[in-house]
Amino acid sequence: MGNKVLIVDDSNTMRKIVARSLRQAGFEFEKLLEAADGQAALEVLAGETVDIVLSDINMPVMDGIEFLRQKNADGQIKGIPVVMITTEAGTDVLNEALSLGAVGTIKKPFTPEQVQEVLGKFL
Amino acid sequence: MDLAKCISDATQEIFQSMLMAEARPSTPLSTRSNVFKDSVSGLVGLAGNYRGMLAIHVPNAVAMSITSKFLFMDVEEINDDVKDAIGELANMLAGSVKSMLTETGTGLKLAIPSAISGTEYEVECLSDSDGAIVPFNIDEGEFLVECYLQNS
Repeated sequence: MGNKVLIVDDSNTMRKIVARSLRQAGFEFEKLLEAADGQAALEVLAGETVDIVLSDINMPVMDGIEFLRQKNADGQIKGIPVVMITTEAGTDVLNEALSLGAVGTIKKPFTPEQVQEVLGKFL
Repeated sequence: MDLAKCISDATQEIFQSMLMAEARPSTPLSTRSNVFKDSVSGLVGLAGNYRGMLAIHVPNAVAMSITSKFLFMDVEEINDDVKDAIGELANMLAGSVKSMLTETGTGLKLAIPSAISGTEYEVECLSDSDGAIVPFNIDEGEFLVECYLQNS
C-alpha cells in the first residue's frame, strides 16, 4: 500500500517537479493529489484522507500560511502533517509556518535527495 | 551588496539543482534594453524595505527547452506550460535573492510571479533604482536575469 500525498502550488510546473522528485526519491503512492492554492487544498482535504501535504507558501487566493491556520481550525484535518516547499526558506514567513505546525521545510530549488531526507520521516 | 553576484549565484544553483544544467554567467551588462523580441519573461515584484523587481528574459527556443527539461516532455510552442515554468524560475530566483539580501526576510515580500511573452514587448523598471543585468549561457542558448531595487 502506498501513500496518499497532496501537492499544493499555484505553479503547474512546480507541482509536476515535486511529484517527479518524490518518485525519484523512491516514494511510492496510492494517490497523488494536486491543488493550486490553499482554498483548493482545503476542498480536497474535505473529501480525501491524505498522509501528508506538501505546500508552497506564496500563492494567490489563499496562501500557505492561511491554509495552515484554517487546517488547524478544522478538527477533522488538523492532524495531517504539512511540509512547506518554498522559496521562503530562512525567512520570517517560514518561521511563521513552523509556528503554525508545519512539520518540515524544503527550500526551492531542491534535489530529490533533499526531498527524501525531509519526507523520509513521514512517509 | 553585490547584486550581480547574488543573481549569478542564485541562477547557477537553481539550474544545477532543478535542471541538472550549467548556467554560465557572463560579464554584467551596463545598460538595459526595455524591448524583448520572441521571448518569454518571468517577473516578480519585491516590496517592503526594498521595492523593485526581478526578471528573467528567455528567448522562445531556450524557454521551450527549459520547460521541456522541467516537465520531461516535448514542448513545441509557447504555451501556458512555458510561461508557468519561466514564471516559476523567476519566483525561485527572487526567493534566493531575497534570502541573500536579508538574513530573516523581515520586511521584504515577494509578489506572485507573472510571465509575459510575445513577438515584441517592453518591460520597464524603476528608473532611479540600483540594478544589475547578468547574461547567462546554457547549452541551448542565452538568457538574461535582472534585478532592480530601491530603498523604500
